[in-house]
Amino acid sequence: MNSETIRAVVDCLIPPDDFPGAYEAGVCNYLDRLLQTDLAEHADFFRAGIDAIDTEALAQYNARFEALTPDQQIAILAGIDSGAVKTSWPVAPSRFFEMLVNTTAEGYYSDPQQGGNRGCASWVMTGFEEAVES
Amino acid sequence: MKNYDAIIVGSGAAGGIVACVLAEAGKHVLLLERGPALTFAEVGRDHLRNQRLAIYGHNAGPELIGNPRVFVDPQGRSRLVDPHELDYHNNAACVGGGTRVYGAQAWRFHPDDFRMASKYGVPEGSSLADWPISYATLEPFYERAEWELGVAGDGNIIQSQIPRRRNYPLPPVPPSPQTVALQNSARALGWVTTPVPLLINTEVYRGRSSCIGCKYCVGFACPTDAKTGTQNTVIPRALATGNCELKTAAVAEAIETDDRGNVTGISYFVTSSGTPQHETARARMVIVSAGAIESARLLLNSRSSLHPAGLGNEHDQVGRNLQGHLYPRAYGLSATKVFNGIGPGVTIATIQFNHDNPGIIGGGMLADDFIKPPIDFWYDSLPPDLPRWGIVNKRFMRHNYTRVLHVRGPVQDIPNPEGRVSVDNNVRDKWGIPVARLSGTTHPATVEAAEFMRERGEQWLRASGCEKVWSTQPGLILSGRQHQAGTCRMGNDPATSVTDEWGRIHGHNNLFVIDGSLHVTNGGFNPVLTIMALAFRSAEYIAQMT
Repeated sequence: MNSETIRAVVDCLIPPDDFPGAYEAGVCNYLDRLLQTDLAEHADFFRAGIDAIDTEALAQYNARFEALTPDQQIAILAGIDSGAVKTSWPVAPSRFFEMLVNTTAEGYYSDPQQGGNRGCASWVMTGFEEAVES
Repeated sequence: MKNYDAIIVGSGAAGGIVACVLAEAGKHVLLLERGPALTFAEVGRDHLRNQRLAIYGHNAGPELIGNPRVFVDPQGRSRLVDPHELDYHNNAACVGGGTRVYGAQAWRFHPDDFRMASKYGVPEGSSLADWPISYATLEPFYERAEWELGVAGDGNIIQSQIPRRRNYPLPPVPPSPQTVALQNSARALGWVTTPVPLLINTEVYRGRSSCIGCKYCVGFACPTDAKTGTQNTVIPRALATGNCELKTAAVAEAIETDDRGNVTGISYFVTSSGTPQHETARARMVIVSAGAIESARLLLNSRSSLHPAGLGNEHDQVGRNLQGHLYPRAYGLSATKVFNGIGPGVTIATIQFNHDNPGIIGGGMLADDFIKPPIDFWYDSLPPDLPRWGIVNKRFMRHNYTRVLHVRGPVQDIPNPEGRVSVDNNVRDKWGIPVARLSGTTHPATVEAAEFMRERGEQWLRASGCEKVWSTQPGLILSGRQHQAGTCRMGNDPATSVTDEWGRIHGHNNLFVIDGSLHVTNGGFNPVLTIMALAFRSAEYIAQMT
């Protein structure tokens, strides 16, 4: 599983704006930990799905996912989300994508002790916690 | 072997109270709890593993490994489920039981909740029945639970529907911005609203602190111990008498009987210093307070040649009528911020629709909701037409987490005898005890009432000026979950009930069930205060028996 791919994928799911995107918030740390613990049984499934995203990008745009434009990235992920893939997938695309979206949100919005939500960024963003003025 | 006056299985809402009443009456009591006594730190603040959102585990037991159940879906397919899965219908397994991590809404049932069959008739396929006791009979025990444990609220507003002799001992939680919005719109609709009664100290009460307004009531433990459970009230009282022995990590296997079928005690597995032991304790009285699923399981697993189908099960009634609540949920996008970060979050309710709705059997209470951590909100509360990912999803979370009004409520369950607990002899837990098998659904009339209540929720939010309103509705499912009830219901006829009005198993002098299992119907309210009131009433009766 290419770390540049997963980084680009999670930032497409929760993009940076004036609040951190998923990668900067630590979602990849969260996913690493989860795939070694609670989702260890599904780690191969998950990694195969990430690899298949790159395969899909190469087939459609002749480049790896992280090298695509934002619009191309969104188009690739929307295709996987709806099951409209152009290549032969080793795992069920929609099922994989649901797991990807859910775990990314978990890393971004749950407590920082899980490995993501660095600096409680999403809690400040949502207003769940007040930002501390420095 | 030690001989007790009474053995109580389960230290939750009911078991803790029974232990306290009996111990204070001078009885020697053994209180068995399958889980541990959990500290605040042990319950923790894990947003993904708690009693409300249990994606990868939960925080109040039972352990994920070795405690499966069998769940049979409405299509008849069965599968193994673990304790953190929704279909497990879990309740916490620790000292205090569900009260350790609940939200603590402390409603009395409505007088009509005790006479559902008389009021509405019995729809085909339902086992709907009246309770053998009335609201008036239980009223003094509601009052006792409210005052001995400590409930905050204002009972005067709904006095004409749910009469009481005495108000709550504590003032209600303060209003939030969403309270004002919902109160104004309810007034415009002609609906009466009331503060939500809570087993939470709004002032120092009986030696415990008051609420500090943190955001972690439901699913978590209270940092100041202001949330009231049996673990910080009646169980310490029981232990202080010196008459109550509490054994944790003690898993009941079966109720023991002699060769004439009389109940003599309990066999159980207890683990101390990591080593499991099989033990038997004898008592003049056995009281099962393990929750509607585990209480039924224990009776069904207590088989002998005289009771081949389990204790109290001569008429195939034990485990039937499993019920809880369907919860329609409605959400509305408010023009202004309604979240102020101060818990518990639930502040205002209406009981306008608990009864007398045209064409509907029963109904339910509607209230705003406890504060949801953002990940819980993300899973639970987003509009169905919102993309699940991308910048639009992020912006919705950013701008609207504090602007979404929530209304939800428990719908009175119309019991179905086929919604039930049985035991599966082919699947055993880590102690070798046959596990609970859950099958069937609630009655279709419950779904009709839930649909009616979902519409009322949307109506309330539209009247509150919400620019966008959405809702979710459960279908025809088994409704047990944390509000599980009904599996050993009270009644006068042994052919259609399991116990008498005191919780005594028909045909047995010294075997009682005291918990939500007794509920003939489960009201359109959170059931814990009714469980507590029944526990006080039955325990007082048992204390006077000998």
